[in-house]
Amino acid sequence: MSAEFLQIIKSRRVIRDMTDQPVEPEKIERILDAGRWSPAAGNKRTIRFVVVQDPLSLQMVRVFSPGMFQKPQAVILLCIDWDVVVENQFAEGDKSPYIDLGAVMQTMMLAAHAQGLGSGPATSFSKEALRVILNLPANLTPEVEVCIGYAAPKDANQLPMLSKKRVTWQDLTHWERFES
Amino acid sequence: MDIFPSKNKATVLTEAEALELFAFLLSSARTQIDDPALYASMRLLTAAEKLREFIRDRVSPETEALLSNTDELTTRAHIYMSDLEAYTADLDELCRMTAQFFIDQSDLKDGGS
Repeated sequence: MSAEFLQIIKSRRVIRDMTDQPVEPEKIERILDAGRWSPAAGNKRTIRFVVVQDPLSLQMVRVFSPGMFQKPQAVILLCIDWDVVVENQFAEGDKSPYIDLGAVMQTMMLAAHAQGLGSGPATSFSKEALRVILNLPANLTPEVEVCIGYAAPKDANQLPMLSKKRVTWQDLTHWERFES
Repeated sequence: MDIFPSKNKATVLTEAEALELFAFLLSSARTQIDDPALYASMRLLTAAEKLREFIRDRVSPETEALLSNTDELTTRAHIYMSDLEAYTADLDELCRMTAQFFIDQSDLKDGGS
């Protein structure tokens, strides 16, 4: 793994303040392509990407998304395709599609950051409102909004919330078997 | 009895702004069922900020001064959400500031009615 790639991972932040600078279409397409290369349970593609860039649609999506603090230039709505889940006989309650969601989200956010874009996820939104606004088919459930845009200068390198102590990987890791 | 008789007829919210706030509050009511409990406070604070931004250009100079005075505190409150003590203190200060505005702008300032 290159040092540059590690640095991209470590320097990515959730961006909550974005400028109104338009995002180049090719950059959005690269983000979508990166999402396609995310790992997927059983190599079944249960996640669908719905891109929203039309200003009026974006505004409506934002109105029904209390968790969306930023004003993004694009939203990639990650949806679970339940037709694919059923067709591939995932067990009821199988969390694999949700794990796939997280993988796609992170991959897309890294792809955005690698291209100089900011990104931020939001899950607090009315699924039913978005279903109406975007005319989503019944087999898709909207799960995560990935907001894309250029970070406002003051937000470019800041954590959105202060933490009393920076968490290290050691804090999160236990080696080998737990003692009884 | 009206708290602010002189301000009662001022229209400070457009229909579009009111609808946006309406949708935000409804969506928050729904998402809060699934979200962490502390988010409820944050959503209400965000709603207050939205209302402030909507009305800012159409309120009296006195009210505009109050709104401006709350800018820094509301921004800080969001940043300090992970520190419940500091967050609570900021919200308390915002409430005190607003209550004082109510007193200053009402008849109570001069001993009440």
